[in-house]
Amino acid sequence: MFFKKKIYSPKGDIPTKNQDPIPETREKMSFEFKNRLQHSTDILENEIGSSGITIFSIDTLIDKTMFHQNIIEPIKDLSFHSIHDVLKHLPVGEIKLSNQMTIVVKSALEGNVIIYLEGETSVLLAKIPSKVERSLSIAENETNVIGPQIAFNESLMTNISLIRNYIKDPDLCVENFIVGSRTNISGAILYMSGIASEQMITTLRQRINEIEIDGILDSSVLLQFIEDNSLSMFPLMSLTERPDRVCDFLLKGKLAVLVEGSSLAIISPHTFMEFFQSLEDSNVNWQIGTFYRLLRLVALFFSVFLTAIYVACITFHYEVIPQTLLLTLSESRARVPFPPIIEALLLEFFLELLREAGARLPTKVGQTMGIVGGIVIGTAAVEAGFTSNILIIIIALAALGSFVTPSYKMGNVIRILRFPIIVLAGFWGFYGIMYGFCFILMHLLRQSSLGSPYLAPFYPPRFADWKDSIIRLPISFTNKRPSHTRPKNDYKYDHDKAKEKKRP
Amino acid sequence: MKVQYQPKPPFLLSTFLVIFIIHANQVGIGIHGFQRVIFMVAKQDSWISVLIAGFVTHIVVFVMIKTLQLYRSTDIYGIHHDVYGKWLGKVFNSLYILYCLWVFLIILKNYIEVLQTWVFPTIPVWLFSSSIILLVIYGVTGGVRIIVGVCFFSVALSLWMFTFIGYPLRFADIDQLLPVMESNFVSILKGAHKMTLTIIGFEILYVIYPYMEKKDKLQKYAHIGIAGTTVVYLLLMLVAIVYFSPGQLESTIWPTLSLFKIVRLPIIERTEFVALTFWLLIILPNLMLYLWAAVRGVKRTFGINTKGVLLAFTTCIFVMSLFINTRIKINRFNDFFASVAFYITFCYPLVLYALARLKKKMNVHKENMK
Repeated sequence: MFFKKKIYSPKGDIPTKNQDPIPETREKMSFEFKNRLQHSTDILENEIGSSGITIFSIDTLIDKTMFHQNIIEPIKDLSFHSIHDVLKHLPVGEIKLSNQMTIVVKSALEGNVIIYLEGETSVLLAKIPSKVERSLSIAENETNVIGPQIAFNESLMTNISLIRNYIKDPDLCVENFIVGSRTNISGAILYMSGIASEQMITTLRQRINEIEIDGILDSSVLLQFIEDNSLSMFPLMSLTERPDRVCDFLLKGKLAVLVEGSSLAIISPHTFMEFFQSLEDSNVNWQIGTFYRLLRLVALFFSVFLTAIYVACITFHYEVIPQTLLLTLSESRARVPFPPIIEALLLEFFLELLREAGARLPTKVGQTMGIVGGIVIGTAAVEAGFTSNILIIIIALAALGSFVTPSYKMGNVIRILRFPIIVLAGFWGFYGIMYGFCFILMHLLRQSSLGSPYLAPFYPPRFADWKDSIIRLPISFTNKRPSHTRPKNDYKYDHDKAKEKKRP
Repeated sequence: MKVQYQPKPPFLLSTFLVIFIIHANQVGIGIHGFQRVIFMVAKQDSWISVLIAGFVTHIVVFVMIKTLQLYRSTDIYGIHHDVYGKWLGKVFNSLYILYCLWVFLIILKNYIEVLQTWVFPTIPVWLFSSSIILLVIYGVTGGVRIIVGVCFFSVALSLWMFTFIGYPLRFADIDQLLPVMESNFVSILKGAHKMTLTIIGFEILYVIYPYMEKKDKLQKYAHIGIAGTTVVYLLLMLVAIVYFSPGQLESTIWPTLSLFKIVRLPIIERTEFVALTFWLLIILPNLMLYLWAAVRGVKRTFGINTKGVLLAFTTCIFVMSLFINTRIKINRFNDFFASVAFYITFCYPLVLYALARLKKKMNVHKENMK
């Protein structure tokens, strides 16, 4: 299997220069093995009756049924002269020979049993890992109405098999890596060779290989190590729990990274606009998909700027508000004792508290949050004269807008982005808002994802890619892969041939 | 220093972006009030002045690109070095750097003045100038790609403003354009001359040229950019003439902004507040391009490439922006600048072209002698 490529390099089997040999007697081996594993209590040592074989393993990492059926059962009544004889009797798929003690210990930690025959210089390593994984479930963070519902779980093998089930192509390439000097977690880079750009694959591989850390527990942590600019607040690579979304991106020429023990795949390169696209847009009619995308853009504008515009208008530019609206506004603000900036920050802060509480609370208690937050505090705040009615509407609108974003990571950024802009609006009015906007624009222009521009396809302008960014045209118009992935193969299908076929 | 300068391939820009670079750099602060200045000289024939100014710009840009094409890939600093030699070239380069910084100061100062007059009368100058300068530094340190990116977005995101041109047309009086050609030709030309401050910005080609991907196609795109700007100016001029009565136009300092006042949307009144603050995005590329051009000049001429140069320049500009503080001072400053800028941007390229041709011929001659 591909996981073992790196560990079992053929160099380890050269007997002449063995620095770390297998001990010759059973007692020594037992001591050495236990010593290296700090005499943990879950080390198992089975002496198999007459055969002269001893089996070492870590009890908690191996599959018990397989251990009995496939290892002990076939060899318990036989006797052996050579370790190679044992090999013939074992009905286990993944068996390796090794004469290095370090490798023996390492593989014991990966769910191998060590079959040891006294007097032999090498041992057998048979892989029978216990499977600790939950069953596959429905995607809960990125829900779709139309489209497949399945989500990744925490097992790397299962996740790769999910992707392989979608893309049955020999070009789908899986490259393994191991990260973390202590956790030694395995992961895989996936891409379509022949579509994905070589240069990007090399960059990503290099970035992952250069990581030096004791442990990485989730792909979201790995992502922070391999991002182009870790100082930016914006997510420069995306995380997704949906295998179909990963496949969609793989086919566009992007790279995916999966990590053992994590249910999220990293996708790069990723553009700013793609955070506002959901796979569902391509599952529905193109008109409806376009509407969704435009809706999300408006929501983005609302959630970042609406509260700030309110603050700026009330504080500095009341001339801008039409007279009829001004009347209701002043009426509702008449009892509010605070300046608008305090009023807005207070309510935004309150909303963030609600959201955070909702996310951290157990699901059963979470439902009450809605009642407490929405009805009790909301109306009470207005009645007590803390805030104005209109601000509550605006803040609710802004909050809704930030939840519309399909990517949770981007949603977080949008919510936090509001605060500095509200403060700027409170100090400098419209000028402050524009100042914030210009800063964000320049900041976004400076970012890149795996070396490709973050604001593609707007800048650098690739007008052909606009057809599938803010809007979504019918599939027959979008046969070109996005250029920011620098694909080796530009077209999804031959456009002219497709036209010919359509003709009756 | 070397005459030739060839940036690495990742830094090259698509050639059609020059449309946005030129347009963004031309449209800036002059557009707020150019109608009045020209109207004072050319009366209802001002629009002809605008057309003439646009036409002359096309010619000058044509000559500029011809000059640049004499060399393979260089900017004005390299040409100066080649034409004038080592020491005199440095003097001319320093003058050009000073010119860039001067434009920077003019744009900054005028924008702050408009902001203070229309939106924030009480916020002090230093707050505006320091905040804008910080923003510009952030952009310029990002490099030429980011600057051109801001140019692109500045043009693309401000297109919505054109829809507002329709509003004043409801109150338009077309007869105010008549009779055509009442003013004599000299005053129309004088009007065209007054366009200088508004129409300059295309000279950035001199510096950005090496960064263009396909230099043979530059001529076409550059002219599209200029034509776009000329059309915008022409439209605004025409609207101002037909909307304002002659006396009113002569006493309105910023006619374009006054035109915004008429726009009344169901959710926004007094659109000029929005437009004026939005103008920050429109002047940003100007400021960034000129500052970048100045910093590049220092790098090319003296080989110094540090953030220190950038900081020194911006600090100087910040301090100077504090001293030009009244309407009269700003006006005199503008007028003086416009008269100098006319020679630098319109006359000098022709001279430089002649000199560069001469130099080329001399080189060929020398080689033949050998």
